[in-house]
Amino acid sequence: MTEFLQALDFYLPIAEVAVNAPLLVGLGAVVGFISGLFGIGGGFLMTPVLVFMGIPPAVAVASEAGHVAASSVSSVSAYSRRREVDFRMGAVLASGGVVGAFIGVEIFRVLRLLGQADLVVSLSYLVFLGIIGALMLNESLGSILRRRRGEPPKPRGDRRPMWLYALPLKMKFPRSRLYISVIPPIALGLFVGVLSAIMGVGGGFILVPAMVYLLRMPARVVVGTSLFQIIITTTVACVLQAGRNQTVDIVLSVMLLAGGVFGAQLGARASARFRAEELRALLAIIVLLVGLRMGLGLFITPEDPFVMVGGAG
Amino acid sequence: MAIDLPPPPPTAPAVSAALTETQVQVTSGFRGARIIVYGAVFDPSARPSDVVIIVRGPEQPIRLARKSRVAGLWINSRPVVFEGAPGFYMAASTRPLSEIARFGPLRRLGAGLDHLAIAAPAEQRIETRYGVKDMVVSRLGADYLDWRRAVVRLKQKAGLYTADSTRVRFVDRGLFRAEIALPTQAPIGLYQTRIILFQDGRPVSIRDRTLTVEKVGFERWLYLFAHQRPWLYGLVSAAIALAAGWAASRAFRRS
Repeated sequence: MTEFLQALDFYLPIAEVAVNAPLLVGLGAVVGFISGLFGIGGGFLMTPVLVFMGIPPAVAVASEAGHVAASSVSSVSAYSRRREVDFRMGAVLASGGVVGAFIGVEIFRVLRLLGQADLVVSLSYLVFLGIIGALMLNESLGSILRRRRGEPPKPRGDRRPMWLYALPLKMKFPRSRLYISVIPPIALGLFVGVLSAIMGVGGGFILVPAMVYLLRMPARVVVGTSLFQIIITTTVACVLQAGRNQTVDIVLSVMLLAGGVFGAQLGARASARFRAEELRALLAIIVLLVGLRMGLGLFITPEDPFVMVGGAG
Repeated sequence: MAIDLPPPPPTAPAVSAALTETQVQVTSGFRGARIIVYGAVFDPSARPSDVVIIVRGPEQPIRLARKSRVAGLWINSRPVVFEGAPGFYMAASTRPLSEIARFGPLRRLGAGLDHLAIAAPAEQRIETRYGVKDMVVSRLGADYLDWRRAVVRLKQKAGLYTADSTRVRFVDRGLFRAEIALPTQAPIGLYQTRIILFQDGRPVSIRDRTLTVEKVGFERWLYLFAHQRPWLYGLVSAAIALAAGWAASRAFRRS
C-alpha cells in the first residue's frame, strides 16, 4: 500500500520536494469546498497545510498567490453576472493592494535574509486570525442565541462614521451607493496587499468585515468586490514573487486548482443548506484553530534549538 | 603481430572502482536514487586493506539560527552563514574510521562527519591573543562547536548526511561494493565520489569518480525558465492561473 502511494509521488520542480499528487489534489478539493461554502479564498488554510506537508514556506506563500488568483477568477464570474461586483470600488482597493503587494514582497525578502520570516508569518497568523476569528465567533454566536430566544435580530447600525466624510478626494461608487473619500479604501487595500504577500493569503477574511463595518458597503456587493480586488492583488503578487524571489511553483498552483474548482462548486451548493450565522460561527472556529495552530510553535519549546533558515545564496 | 600479454604485476597496491550510474535524472517521478559503487583492490602482497568511500554533493552555504526564549516567545537569533558544507555527504567504510586511520589523514581527506571543513568565515577574525599571532577567533565563542554540530545533525535528520562504517562490504577476495542512497531532496549538481584504499592507517591509492544529478525534460525546462527569465515566468504563471480559473468557471456554468 505504501509503495503504491509512493508511486503517486510527484516531484515539484521549483519547490524541489516530492509530494503525493492525490493527497495534494484532495487537499485542494477540501479547501476549495470550504472556500465555496463560506465565500472566501481559503489561502489562510492552504498555506499552513502546504508548510506542514514539507513544502518550503517561501514557495508555499508564493505559489498560493497563483492558486488564490485562479480560484477567485473561477468564482467571481457568478457574482459578476448577478451584478454583485462594484468594479470601481474594487479598482480603488486594488490600486492600494498592488502597492501593498510590492511592499509585502520586499518585506518578506528582507525577513528571509534576517532569518525572521517564520516568526513574522507565525505571529501574523496568530494575531490576525486570532482577532478576526474571535470577533466573528462572538458576533455569530450572539445572533444564534438571539434567534434561539426568539429575539429580533440586532438592527444594523447604518450610521456611517463621520471621518469617512471628512476626508478629501471623494468619489462616487454608484453600485455600493457610496460617496466617500478614496483614502480609506486605498489604505485598506494597501494593508491587505502587504498581508497577502507575507502570509500567502488573499486577504478576504480581513477585507470582507472591513468593507461591511468600516466602509459600510451593502452586504450584497461585498464578497464579489473583495474577490475582484483579490484577483488583481494576488496576480501582481504572483508575478512579483516569481520575479524577485523565484519561488512560484506553477505546477503546485495548478495541482491545487485542479481539486479546488470542484470543491468550490460543491461548497457553493452546500452553503444554501445552512443559515448565514451558523456558517459564520463555523468559519470563525476554523479561523481561530488555524491561527492558534500557527502560533503554537512560538510558545512550545522546540525539539532542536537550531533551525536552518532559507534565503541563502 | 601483437600478442596479448597479461599486464605486468602491479608493484604498488591500487584500488579501482566505478559507479553503476553516472547520471541521475530528476523527473516528475523522482523519488531518490540508489547507486552502487563497485570496485576491486589489487594488492599482490595481500596486506589487510580498508576501503573508504566519500561522496560530496555540490557545496551550499547554510544559514542557521538558534531559537531562544524572549518574553515567552521562541525567537530566532541572527542567522549565521556556514560555508564549506556539501549539500550531500556520505562517508562509507569497511570499519569505523577511527580504527582505519588516525586524526591527521582523516582530517586531510575530509573523511567522516567530524572532519568536514565547515566554517562560518563571516564570524571569524584573525587576531593576536596572548602574544600568539594569527589566532582564528570566532564571534560565536565557546558555542561554536554546538553550532557546527547542529549543521551536521540537521543535515543528518534530513537524510542528506550519512556516515556508515559497515556500508562498504568485501563481497569476494579484493572485490567490494557499497550503496549510495540519494534522497529526493538531494541537491542538483556535480557529486564527487572518492574511493580511498587504506593500508596501515595510510591512504595508499585514491580513485575519483563523478556523478551528476540533473533535472531533465519538462522539470529542467521549467526550472531554467523560472530562474533565467523570472519576470516572464511570473507573467506566464499568472496567465496560466487566471486562464485555468476562467476555464473552470466556464466548465461549471454549462453543466
